[in-house]
Amino acid sequence: MSAMNQTLVLDGRKVELQQGDTILDAASRANTSIPTLCHDPRLKPVGACRTCLIEVEGSRRLLPACATPATEGMVIHTQNERVDRHRKTLLGLYLTDHNKDRNHGLGGAPNQLVAMAHEVGAPTDWGQLPSKRKANSEDDNPYILFDAEQCIACARCTRYCDEVESVSAITLAGRGSETTISTNDGLSLLDTTCEMCGGCIDTCPTGAMTERKAAAMQAPPEWDLKQVRSTCNFCGVGCQLNLHVDEAANAGRGRIIKVTSPPAGTTSNDGNLCVKGRFAYDFVDHNERLTTPLIRDKAGVLQPATWEEALAAISLGLAGVSERHGKNSLAFVSSSRCTMEENYLVQKLARQGYGTNNVHQCAAT
Amino acid sequence: MTNSIREIREADFLLVIGSNTSEAHPIIAMEMKRAVRRGATLVVVDPRAVWMTTIAEHHLQIKPGSDVWLLNSMAQVIIAEGLVAEEFVAKQTEDFETVKAAVKDYTPERAEEFTGVAPDLLRKIARQYAQTAKAGIYYTLGITEHSHGTDNVYALANLVLMTGHLGQRASGMNPLRGQNNVQGANDAGATPVFYPGYQRVDDPEVQARYERAWGCELNPKPGLNLNEMMMTMGEGIKGIFVMGEDIVLSEPNANHLEEALAGVEFIAIQEPFPNETMRFANVVLPSTVFAEKDGVFTNSERRVQRVRQAVEPPGEARQDWRILCEIARAAGLDWTYGSPAEVYDELASLAPSFSGISHSRLDELQADGMTGIQWPCPTSDHPGTVYLHGDGVMRGKGLFQAVTYRPPMEVPDKDYGLFLSTGRTLYHYNAATQTRRETGPVAKHPEAFVEIHPRDAQQRNIEAGDRVRVSTRRGHIDVVAIVSRQVRPGCIWTPLHYAEARANLLTNDKGDPVTGTAEFKVCAAEVTRLGEGPELATTFRGNYYSTAGPGA
Repeated sequence: MSAMNQTLVLDGRKVELQQGDTILDAASRANTSIPTLCHDPRLKPVGACRTCLIEVEGSRRLLPACATPATEGMVIHTQNERVDRHRKTLLGLYLTDHNKDRNHGLGGAPNQLVAMAHEVGAPTDWGQLPSKRKANSEDDNPYILFDAEQCIACARCTRYCDEVESVSAITLAGRGSETTISTNDGLSLLDTTCEMCGGCIDTCPTGAMTERKAAAMQAPPEWDLKQVRSTCNFCGVGCQLNLHVDEAANAGRGRIIKVTSPPAGTTSNDGNLCVKGRFAYDFVDHNERLTTPLIRDKAGVLQPATWEEALAAISLGLAGVSERHGKNSLAFVSSSRCTMEENYLVQKLARQGYGTNNVHQCAAT
Repeated sequence: MTNSIREIREADFLLVIGSNTSEAHPIIAMEMKRAVRRGATLVVVDPRAVWMTTIAEHHLQIKPGSDVWLLNSMAQVIIAEGLVAEEFVAKQTEDFETVKAAVKDYTPERAEEFTGVAPDLLRKIARQYAQTAKAGIYYTLGITEHSHGTDNVYALANLVLMTGHLGQRASGMNPLRGQNNVQGANDAGATPVFYPGYQRVDDPEVQARYERAWGCELNPKPGLNLNEMMMTMGEGIKGIFVMGEDIVLSEPNANHLEEALAGVEFIAIQEPFPNETMRFANVVLPSTVFAEKDGVFTNSERRVQRVRQAVEPPGEARQDWRILCEIARAAGLDWTYGSPAEVYDELASLAPSFSGISHSRLDELQADGMTGIQWPCPTSDHPGTVYLHGDGVMRGKGLFQAVTYRPPMEVPDKDYGLFLSTGRTLYHYNAATQTRRETGPVAKHPEAFVEIHPRDAQQRNIEAGDRVRVSTRRGHIDVVAIVSRQVRPGCIWTPLHYAEARANLLTNDKGDPVTGTAEFKVCAAEVTRLGEGPELATTFRGNYYSTAGPGA
C-alpha cells in the first residue's frame, strides 16, 4: 500500500488515502468506527448487509462503506440523522427475524447483531416473525453447530469457506426468508469437502455458526471465561490462540471450553485456525494422561512411585551408565514439541551435568 | 524460512516442492490460496496429487527421489537461456562456476527420463521462476527426508542464488517447519554440534564462554545426531533420556530399534501420555502439555511467541522445566531457576541472535497488539528481522554448492515392486497421541490406510476397501487399501500416525550422510491382499476415499 497524496473528508476531518482503499479502510485508519455485519477483512466485500451505509455528499443514495472505493475529495458523513435512522430501521428489521436474547447464543457465542442493535438504540419491539430458516438436524459432525435462528444470511461463512479455506463445503440454499446455510444435498459436514477448520464459526457475526463442544459442555458464556493468549502446539506455523478457560471446572484446575484466534489482521495466522488448532484440545483433559511417576520393578512392571523415588532412580540410572560405559554412552533426546526453555535445559543437563554433546531434538530436519 | 508467512500472499510465483501444505500447514496453505486467488502462479512438485495441485497451474508429478534431476535441470535452463541474475551472482555469491559446470549436462530432455516431466514444461517453469521478481520456494520433509536431502536443499538454494530471489519480500527459501517448536528447539541448542544460537561446540571461544557461564568444563567433541543415536542404540548408547518424543513410533526401521533398546541399560522418559517407548522405560515421569506451562515457541518464520499457562496439570504431573531442574539438582547441579522467564534470560544472554528478546518484552509487545519477535534480534531496541539477507547475504557471500544426482538408497525390484512414501494427514499429528483422542479427526480418519494406484491395485487383485499388508525388507503393517489416482502408478503412500500400523516398521533408517536424517520418503515395498475390509464411504468420510482423486 502506498500513499497517493489524495485525501477525503470524513466527518469533517481530512484523511489520507492509500492505493485500493474502500471508505471503510480509510475510516478504520482514521479510527472512525462504522458498524458492519457482513464485512470481514479476509473476504472480498459484498455490501450485502447494508449495515455500513454512510452518506457521501453528492450521492443521492446512502453507500456501503465496505464496498465503495474511496476517491479524492469525497465528503463523507458516517453519522448524521439520515444514517442513524437507516441503521436503527435496518437492525430493527433484522431483529424481527432473529432471536433477540443476548443469552441465547449456544455455547456462549457472542452476537454482534444484538450488541450493535442495543448500541445504536434500534427498536426491539417490532414483533417476531417465525423463523423459516432450517438447519440440518442430521449433521453428526462433532464440532460445528448451525443455529438457524441466529442466522441473518450474511454469507460470511460461505464466503470464508470459498475464499479463504477454498473447500466450498457450505453454501447459501433456499430463497427469500427461507435462505439458509447448507451443504450440497444436505450432507453431514463430515461427508463433504469440509476440513473442519471452523473458520465459519470465527467469521460468523451472530453466533449462528457456533461450537458444538462448548454448547454440549453447557459451559458458562464466553464473557464469563478467562482468556489466555498462547501459541498453538501442533505444526510450525505458530498460530496465536486464545484459550477460553472455565477456571472453576475440574475441581479448580480449569478446563478449556473453546479455542479462538485473535482477530484477523493481528497475527501471522490472520484470524485463521485449522481443525487441530481450533478443536483438538480434548487431549489436555484426557483420562489416559500420565499422572504419577512410574518405576519398573524387578518383575518388569511399571509401578507408581513418588517423585523423590523417581528422581533418585533417574539420577542413579544415568550416573551408573556414565560410570560403566563413559560419558558418551548417554543420549538425551529433546523435543520440538516442548518450549525453547525446556530444550535449553535438556541440552544444558546433557552438557553440564553429564559431559556429553549427545543431545538432539526429535525433529532433526 | 528466509521470509515471513504474511509475505506469501504477495508472491507472484510459488514453487511448492515436497510439501503437502494444505494438510501439514493448513494456515500457510490459506496464504498460498490467497496468492493464487490474486493471480499468482502456483507450481506443485510432488509424486502425489496433494490437494494443492487442484489449484496449481502445474503439477509436476515427479518420480520419487528425482528432485535433484528436476532442480539441476531448471538451473541448466536458467543458465543456458541467460536468465541468471548476473549482478547478484557477481556481488553476493561465490562458486557459481562449479554449479555451472555441474549442471551442464542436466538437460530437460535427459531429466525427463528420471523425473517424468516433459522438457517443454520444465523449461517454461524454470523461465517463469527466474523471470518473476516475487518468486518464493516452499518445501518441507519431501525435500529433506531423503538420503540425498542435503543435495535437494543445495539444489534449491542454487536456484535461489542464481536468480537473486533473496533478501526481498515474498521470495527466498522457505522450509515450513513441521512441529510447533522445531525452530526453537534447534535455536536453544538441542543439537549435537551447537550451543544455543548455532554456536559450535568445537569452537574454543564459544566453549570458553559457556564454561564461564555454567562454571564447569565442557566437552568440545560434537555428539551424535538423532539418527546416529538410534543406529548405535544398545551398542555405543547404553542410557537414554527422552523428553516428549515417542522414538519407537517416530524413528525409522522400528523393529531394529526395538531389538536395540533391549541392549540399553537405562531408559527414562518424560511424557504427558503413555506411548510406545514407555514399554522399554525404566522410569516414567508424568509431564505437561502446552496449555499447562509457560515459555516460548519459535515458529517457521523465526518468530518467538509466548506460550502461557491456562490450566493446572492433572494429578502429580509437573511442568517439564521444573522436572528438568529437579533432575539436575538430583545430579548435584545448582539449578535455581524460578521461572521459564529466567531460563530464557540465561539463554538469551549467551546467544546474540536472541539477546534482544525476553518474556517481558514479548508481553509488552502483545499488549500493543503485536505478536512475537523474529530473530535475529540482538538488542532490546531491535525490532526483529522480517526477512533474512536483506542487507546482503548473511554469510558474506552466498555459497553455491554443486550437487549430482544419486538414486535413493532403495528402489523397487522384483520382490518389492513399489515405491513407498510416508507422510502426515490433516486430521492427525505425528504420533497422534493427541489427535487420536479427538472426536473429529477420528470421525474423518479412524484407521491407517495405504493409497495405491488403480493399475497397481488391479495387478494385485486389490479392490478399494480391502484389507492389505504393506511389506518392506524391514517389516510389515496391515491397513485398508484406498485405490486412488492421488499416487503415481508404481507408488504407494501411507500415513505415519497409527500405533497399530506403524509406518516406521517399513521405513529405511539409512540416511543422509550430512544430516543423518533418514530416508522416510522413499523405500521399496510390496502390497498383498488379506481380505475384505470396511465400507470406505462410511469409514473415511468426506471425499477422501474418492477413487478418482484430485489428480484424475
